[in-house]
Amino acid sequence: MVRANPDFAKQLNRIEKAGNLNYCYQCSACVQECPAALRFSDFNPREIVLCALLGVADELIGENSVIWQCATCYNCYERCPQKARPVEVITALKNLAFETGNAPEQITALRESVLNHGTITTLSDSMKKRRDELGVPAISLPEAGLLKKILGG
Amino acid sequence: MAQKELTLFPGCMIPLRYPQIEKAARFFFRTIGVEVSDIEGFTCCPEPWNVKGAGLTEWLTIAGRNLGIAQKHGGDLITLCNGCYSTLKEAKHAFSSDERTVEEVIKRIKSTDLPKPGDIRVLHFADLLSELWEPVISQCVKKRLEGANIAIHHGCHLLRPADVMKFDDPFDPEVLERIIESLGATPVRYRGYTDCCGRAILHRDKSLDVASAKLDSMKQAGADCVVVPCPACFEQFDLGQVEIKRKTKRVFDLPVLHFSQLLALALEADPSSLGLDYHRVPVVDLVSKFLS
Repeated sequence: MVRANPDFAKQLNRIEKAGNLNYCYQCSACVQECPAALRFSDFNPREIVLCALLGVADELIGENSVIWQCATCYNCYERCPQKARPVEVITALKNLAFETGNAPEQITALRESVLNHGTITTLSDSMKKRRDELGVPAISLPEAGLLKKILGG
Repeated sequence: MAQKELTLFPGCMIPLRYPQIEKAARFFFRTIGVEVSDIEGFTCCPEPWNVKGAGLTEWLTIAGRNLGIAQKHGGDLITLCNGCYSTLKEAKHAFSSDERTVEEVIKRIKSTDLPKPGDIRVLHFADLLSELWEPVISQCVKKRLEGANIAIHHGCHLLRPADVMKFDDPFDPEVLERIIESLGATPVRYRGYTDCCGRAILHRDKSLDVASAKLDSMKQAGADCVVVPCPACFEQFDLGQVEIKRKTKRVFDLPVLHFSQLLALALEADPSSLGLDYHRVPVVDLVSKFLS
């Protein structure tokens, strides 16, 4: 049996006001122009907000969750008459999925690259050559591991 | 109005994957007389869907560090990327909130000898076009693109969330159309004008399906090329066309330019100096056909 957990929404990160989900009245204005909803039958921002509100979110923050298909296009943010901000609810759910080790490999790898190198990718030899050919100034890349210091243990 | 001295926030994608966009932008800044300085210490903005998806607090801390560095060593920031623009502008906005997490992030940034982030402006290349067009840039235009039909793709994060980005209407943007018209070209409206490029959708086939739908709609509206303000959208449409062809056999042959490249051409940069041959969809015919 599925158990509801009304306290679940309190766990959602509030930096970007994902807490506004309480105002959602399930009107579906967020669904119509959602590029992910148009392409994935199980991706529906209205339902995702409802699941977060009811605390029925094990699947959403579990492995291979559909939340990672969100295009972060912010159409739902603009269309929502209640300022419930579905996209921020989805980001907060992604954070919970990441914390429990359920983020997709690509996401973890990209974050690791930023933490280790300071950038999402490194400077390849061919790109260094291209920069020289174009005559753009030499690039000064961040010191390795620099961000780990500020982020603390 | 935008200042004439700015600090470049280079980001990752342009310097490390598409330096030809950086080349065009530097030519543009020099030609219009805006001094853009490079300072050391910036990292990835960080990227606003994956890194932000992994952890908002971490995302905000790294963004705050970048803003703090700009505040301490430089000035108002100029970026060529919607991702950097969105992260830095949203973070700046978040730093004015009184959420406890935000206060803790500010404390952490101050502990590294950087100021509380928030007192500088974050400008996109498109802001500069809008703010300096009449007084400065329009007078530097030497070449026109008479007869070209141009499909603008704004990219989501230049426009939305509109209450934070404050660039233009999130579903009926006009600012960049005026720029295209001033260059003698025609901005074409097409179905799904402000839709996403699909880049952030994790499932690659579906992601390309979003790009494909937009390219198709641009073609139907008679576009000769796509102009974008963002390297992620650039990659999705330029490299994306190669992937789409491989996977679905659909061919669009629609050249893609970053706004900085279009402007460099209009300001009479030598096209052969701009590295346009690094683009996957050839640009050369477009340049010879319309640039006069």
